[in-house]
Amino acid sequence: MLFAIERGTVAGRPSLTVRGELDLSTAPVLAKAVDGELTPPPPALVLDLTPTAFMDSSGARELVRIARKAAAEGVELHVIAPHTNGAVRLTIDLLDLGTVVPIVASTAEIPAGREARP
Amino acid sequence: MSDRPVPDAAGVDEALLRCADEPIAVPGAIQPHGVLLAVTEPDLDVVIASANATTMFGRPVDALDEVLDDADLDRLRDGLAGDLAEVNPLRVRVGGAEVDVVLHRADGLLLTEWEPVSGAGQAGVAWHRRLPTVLQRLAAATTLDDLTQVLARDVRGLTGFDRVMVYRFDAEWNGEVIAEDRREDLEPFFGLRYPAGDIPAQARALYATNWMRLIPDAGYQRVPLEPAANPLTGRPLDLSGAMLRSVSPVHLEYLANMGVVASMSISLIDRGRLWGLIACHHYAGAHRPSYADRTAAEFLGRTASLLLHTTVAAGERSGVVEVAQRQAQLAAVVGRTPRELAAALTRGEVTALDLLPAGGAAVRINRQLRLLGATPPAERVEPLVRALLAAGAPVTDAVSRAVPGAADLADTASGALVVPVGGDDFLAWFRPETLREVAWAGNPHLSKTTQTEDGPRLSPRRSFDAWSETVRETSVPWQAHEVVAARTLAADLAAAALSRASEDDRLSTALQRTLLLEDLPKVPGFALAARYLPSSEDVVGGDWYDLVPLPGGRVSIVLGDVAGHGLAAAAITAQLRHALRAHLLRASGPGVALDGLNEVIAALLPGEMATAVVVELDPSTGEVVLASAGHLPVLHVTTTGTHLLADGRGPALGLLDSAGYRETRVRLAGEDRLLLFSDGLVERGRDGLAAGLEALRDVVRLAPAEPQALLDAVLTAIDPPDTDDVTLVGIARA
Repeated sequence: MLFAIERGTVAGRPSLTVRGELDLSTAPVLAKAVDGELTPPPPALVLDLTPTAFMDSSGARELVRIARKAAAEGVELHVIAPHTNGAVRLTIDLLDLGTVVPIVASTAEIPAGREARP
Repeated sequence: MSDRPVPDAAGVDEALLRCADEPIAVPGAIQPHGVLLAVTEPDLDVVIASANATTMFGRPVDALDEVLDDADLDRLRDGLAGDLAEVNPLRVRVGGAEVDVVLHRADGLLLTEWEPVSGAGQAGVAWHRRLPTVLQRLAAATTLDDLTQVLARDVRGLTGFDRVMVYRFDAEWNGEVIAEDRREDLEPFFGLRYPAGDIPAQARALYATNWMRLIPDAGYQRVPLEPAANPLTGRPLDLSGAMLRSVSPVHLEYLANMGVVASMSISLIDRGRLWGLIACHHYAGAHRPSYADRTAAEFLGRTASLLLHTTVAAGERSGVVEVAQRQAQLAAVVGRTPRELAAALTRGEVTALDLLPAGGAAVRINRQLRLLGATPPAERVEPLVRALLAAGAPVTDAVSRAVPGAADLADTASGALVVPVGGDDFLAWFRPETLREVAWAGNPHLSKTTQTEDGPRLSPRRSFDAWSETVRETSVPWQAHEVVAARTLAADLAAAALSRASEDDRLSTALQRTLLLEDLPKVPGFALAARYLPSSEDVVGGDWYDLVPLPGGRVSIVLGDVAGHGLAAAAITAQLRHALRAHLLRASGPGVALDGLNEVIAALLPGEMATAVVVELDPSTGEVVLASAGHLPVLHVTTTGTHLLADGRGPALGLLDSAGYRETRVRLAGEDRLLLFSDGLVERGRDGLAAGLEALRDVVRLAPAEPQALLDAVLTAIDPPDTDDVTLVGIARA
């Protein structure tokens, strides 16, 4: 599957949906897309890894960077990684990324009440 | 031959030697269907005569001019000036009867052999007119089967024998009937084999120079030569070129045991070497084709002999071309991808297994074994290959003969072709067992000797009833061109590996070498093994392993992985490795040491992330304390099962400022093993990380306990992709 990032709206927040394999070669692509979204910083951002086929430690390191940057900018970040997506979720759990990255299992866990992308 | 030293052997062997020593070229006698006169030149005075000369000529003969008229005498004298083969046969009249005289020279004399025309079978003019057609048929044959079938049929048509067989010798001089034409009521001999002993070496030597032998009546009485010794030499006359030569009584007994009354054989000689025979048998009674017909039959044999080489080669040529094409393709593959030779040879469109016809292949490059097709189990392949090389049998179609301990592998490896590539690396091809039914003419293993008053004597086999045996644990033999192709591929690989090594020397840095231990320190009572496979994209990856001896005899075994690749990752890896060493030496346990390492990253390497697992082993007790920073679980194999150790875990290094790593404890008892590994081994599997871990558990459960063998078995079975570097460390009690 080709790596692709789609802009959209999830739970009333601007979102980026990541398809394909998030690894050493594609992590910089995600970095660029997220940095674009964060300039200027929106109130919130959703990163949807539901259709992500694979994530290695370089992808994980990028998630940590994004989480730290979002926190520094005051952006409410949600990263969706369903338990059904073992390829991504197992890596997240092994690394214990949840200690730094706000991980949710589904859209339902994201609180309501935000505006849609203008 | 008689002065050959006779080994102090058992009586049986002595009897066989006695037959081999029998002076078949100088029997001192001829067969009775003709007369032999050995004469001087140019006077044509008779020096030696066969005892039956008086019967043919009505009186003793002192010189040829007493028995030939002037015209015949002139023709003979004319012929002596030229090639004798052009004179033969000289048709003369003796006492009103037509006689064919055949001439050749031996021992300084002219040997004249006189054979009455009357009583000989005549194929007739019609057959000889067909000779061009027969020759065309021989030349048109494209396969050995065709060629030999034409030969058997036309030799029988020409000579009128009840049975004509074409007989081919194998490497051990056993003969096999590969074509046959026979009287319809006779039992077929096609496909039967005759053991090498049926035609002794000494007879084969004679057959390689003398094209034709004839015995018109195997029940004949031999006719002695008088005098017995050639006055010119003091030795019996050399009859090896005489058509009337009397044959060994052992051979006559052999023919009688087969029920053969008359016999003729024509040699098939391929480039100077006896290749086979055209063997003719007659059962109904005595049988003597005319000299002209015999000459024609010999001519067919000589013609076929010339065609043998090209016909056999044509049959093998298609295979040769195919193998050569594969070899060229693989050489191109090897040339294109010098870095990933093992993958290129096992994953590409054309694999090593395609090079030549085989059931399976093994490619061991850079200490990693990959298997293709049907091979022995991974853990048996290397020992088998080493044993074959040690036994000096790298190319064999009977593996169990060279390595008896491999007999149980016959279904995949009855045949093996091994070529070393350099270091401990090799290529190997395997062929399965081919059960071959070999039909012998009689039991070849029965004793050939009988006991007589004079001691044991060779007695030809009495039973020629077809007797079959099954040849087991052998494969289809390897052809010379296949061996050459395999060796060429190995040479290509060795050359590519050399060029890769020099490239690596340029690329890799002292840095990377500091990450990996050349030799693991010794741990008393325990065996350790480590493997590091670089990724294809980067010489330097983020993996490291370490073994740190601690005060008090304990050792810490470390496997870590820094996110990212390349020199930047390698530089971080080096820093982490050394920082962790320092913390391990100071800290009270692996958890505290990881805490210290995590602080190093937080303070000095912000934004970087790594995982690491530390196993602290007390060799005196087998006690293990384990802590993991986001690393893949360690595999613990015990008698009760294979466990992924999930306790003692904490977040990856670099996530939190202060992590507080927990520890867990296990004990290594008996055959317990620990396996530490990096994500490159499991995460890129087709079905993801979870499936990769499951597959690894399955492999480890069945793999050998010894760590080196364990790691080889794991790498062979998992065969991780080369997109990431892969590190493995195995620990077990020695």
